[in-house]
Amino acid sequence: MIFLKRQLPLVVTFCMGVVFAMQYYVPHPTSEALLKNASNWIIIIGGFALILGLVSLIQLHMHRIQRNVGGWGYSAVLFAAMFAMVIAGILAGGKNLDSERALTGYGWAYSYAMVPLQGTMFSLLAFFVASAAYRAFRARTKEAALLLIAALLVMWGRVPLGEYLWAFSGDIAQWILNVINSSVRRAILIGVSLGVIALSIKIIFGIERMYLGGKKE
Amino acid sequence: MNLSNHSIVTRMLAIDRRFIFMLIALATLIPLLNPINLPIMISPEVRAVYDHMESLPEGSVFLLSMDFDPASKPEVYPQAIALLRHAFKKNLKVIGLTLLVTGTGMAEEAMATVAEELEKINGTDYAFLGWRPGASAVILSMGQDLVGTFPQDHYGIPIDELSVMHNVKTLRDVDYAVSLAAGFPGVDEWYIYGKDKYRFELGGGSTAVMAPGLYPRLRAGQINGLIGGLRGAAEYEKLLDQSGKATAGMDSQSATHFVIIVLVIICNVFYVISRRQKRT
Amino acid sequence: MPTDGIPIDVLIGAWVATGLTLFIYTFLYRDNPLFKLGEHLYVGISVGYSIVITIYAVGVKLLWVPMTEEGQWQLLIPSLLGLMISARFFPRIAWLSRISFAFVVGFGSGTIIPRLISSNVLSQLEDTIRPLATMTASGLTYTINFLDPKSDINNLITLIGVLSVLFYFFFSVEHRGAGQAVARTGIVFLMIAFGAAFGYTVMSRMSLLIGRFDDLIIFSGAEYGRPTFVLLVLTIGVLVYWAYREKQTPQTTAEEKS
Repeated sequence: MIFLKRQLPLVVTFCMGVVFAMQYYVPHPTSEALLKNASNWIIIIGGFALILGLVSLIQLHMHRIQRNVGGWGYSAVLFAAMFAMVIAGILAGGKNLDSERALTGYGWAYSYAMVPLQGTMFSLLAFFVASAAYRAFRARTKEAALLLIAALLVMWGRVPLGEYLWAFSGDIAQWILNVINSSVRRAILIGVSLGVIALSIKIIFGIERMYLGGKKE
Repeated sequence: MNLSNHSIVTRMLAIDRRFIFMLIALATLIPLLNPINLPIMISPEVRAVYDHMESLPEGSVFLLSMDFDPASKPEVYPQAIALLRHAFKKNLKVIGLTLLVTGTGMAEEAMATVAEELEKINGTDYAFLGWRPGASAVILSMGQDLVGTFPQDHYGIPIDELSVMHNVKTLRDVDYAVSLAAGFPGVDEWYIYGKDKYRFELGGGSTAVMAPGLYPRLRAGQINGLIGGLRGAAEYEKLLDQSGKATAGMDSQSATHFVIIVLVIICNVFYVISRRQKRT
Repeated sequence: MPTDGIPIDVLIGAWVATGLTLFIYTFLYRDNPLFKLGEHLYVGISVGYSIVITIYAVGVKLLWVPMTEEGQWQLLIPSLLGLMISARFFPRIAWLSRISFAFVVGFGSGTIIPRLISSNVLSQLEDTIRPLATMTASGLTYTINFLDPKSDINNLITLIGVLSVLFYFFFSVEHRGAGQAVARTGIVFLMIAFGAAFGYTVMSRMSLLIGRFDDLIIFSGAEYGRPTFVLLVLTIGVLVYWAYREKQTPQTTAEEKS
């Protein structure tokens, strides 16, 4: 039993990791078929992963309702919206548009409730970015001044009014993005990738086990 | 006198944020109501996507992965509309899909709207495959066996029955793919798990937040072009000579940027003054 | 009043979309019940939407149809692995979920290693190490064209940028002497790039706002019955009433306590 609980997951990780790292270099039909089947399986498992998030969400909000925690009514609204959407979705066969290209009830709720809600939620950031820029974007040091000037040049040069007032500003913004930004992002990309590769090797060899959901053993 | 100056500076630095909110709201609203349509310059990265689309012969397979959700609709949806218009006008075989579950409805709507506008038929001129979970695994799986990954399209029709899909068995059969991304999965994954092995030409479209991070891929030729944010979409609309939501938003984009530029300059002027006052 | 031209579902949709948009914007004043209502509706609808799409995309199209119509019963194995993830919620069998995670993480780790080496390390290094001067028929030339990303001068700047930023993040060597100069150069590059990133973040956020305001303008039309104006007044009214009630409540409590 201890083997099943502790060693088997590590063996599975090791085998999967080594096989699929090697698979990249073996273009044999069997190897390609293996990748095809495994990736298809991962897609199916990915679908079940939704259950994890769903159960956590239900647990949290059921707890609020059962204990009459302040604002429990909102949790009830959440459940009502969720169940209404599921029912509408099943009635519509999971489609936003029917055969006549008209919105189904499910599509209607998506277009007129979900899209505006999510879109507006994120658009709030526009106000807070502006407020933060005014409050915190100060040239306290030479480095901060450099950051500030680059930001102003890019903001200026990437809008029609900026290019209209000062035609060269577009070229400056373009150069910053193409050369300076590109070299920094490239260095970060290389560094992060090396880190991910190292982490993956540690996972495959069982040195890193946090993904198994427990403390390091 | 000095004291009153000091208090003005302090007050200005600690101005109520709702005043700034109001400025931003007005800077967005006024140009939308009274557009002046300032000219939009075309950047080389957007032109590269357009030129590649132009170079594709009729009947080429164009895959559009609409990997965005409602949170980034205003930025990326106009890109999808512009690209689909271009592809349909060029009579390309269009395959649409999404890797973000909450983006399925928008991707479906974009395909259906433009197809209706240009009188294209589902199954014959285009196919909408819908969504699959697994992000990078979906790209890998499509590279090996596209039909196995999507045995049916979004509407439940078997892929084999769609004439538009007849010669498309894997990603190797795709002539040009564009990922319109708002995060993970997106352009990076399409390159790493897709183009790197299956060697189709790849273009990118993204939110403005993501765009700077994609420049190393652009410089290295991993993507042949990049449409960044609403501005990128407006450039594409201009190239297509068909104005849309992106072009309409450019005046507001200008106004809000300049409000922030002015705010940052003002705050720094007051900051310098306050620092000098503290020293004296 | 709304005209006959607009279908009733679109008309109701316009009112709902406008109302929900305004509910969320009330957060600009401060956290309040209208915002909370919108927030919870958003989560509920999004989760409900995702459940349905997942059921059809995976449950029906990838499992039910292939198994029942094509006899692909081997798909029961990934289904079982998927179900085993849920074992996490039952302490006695929670260890079963480890096998599923091991399968997914092992696959992810294995597939990513060679692909990252190829895409993000080798390809990116290859583009960084470019000739710093060009050999032409007339001899060695050096192109100083800042606007061409592939000019010799830009190749040199890119090389300096990549190396100095990599060095800045390399903490195994103390940044002293020449090392300090390289690290300082890295900081300069980083600051400019962060500035550009900030500029693009502003651009992105403003675009989102433009999109939402655009919808509010469309729905302010007479053909929709001007929901933007009507609901704006109502929302402000509710917000004012709520703020008034909020002011009263603590006083009452204090009085009651005394």
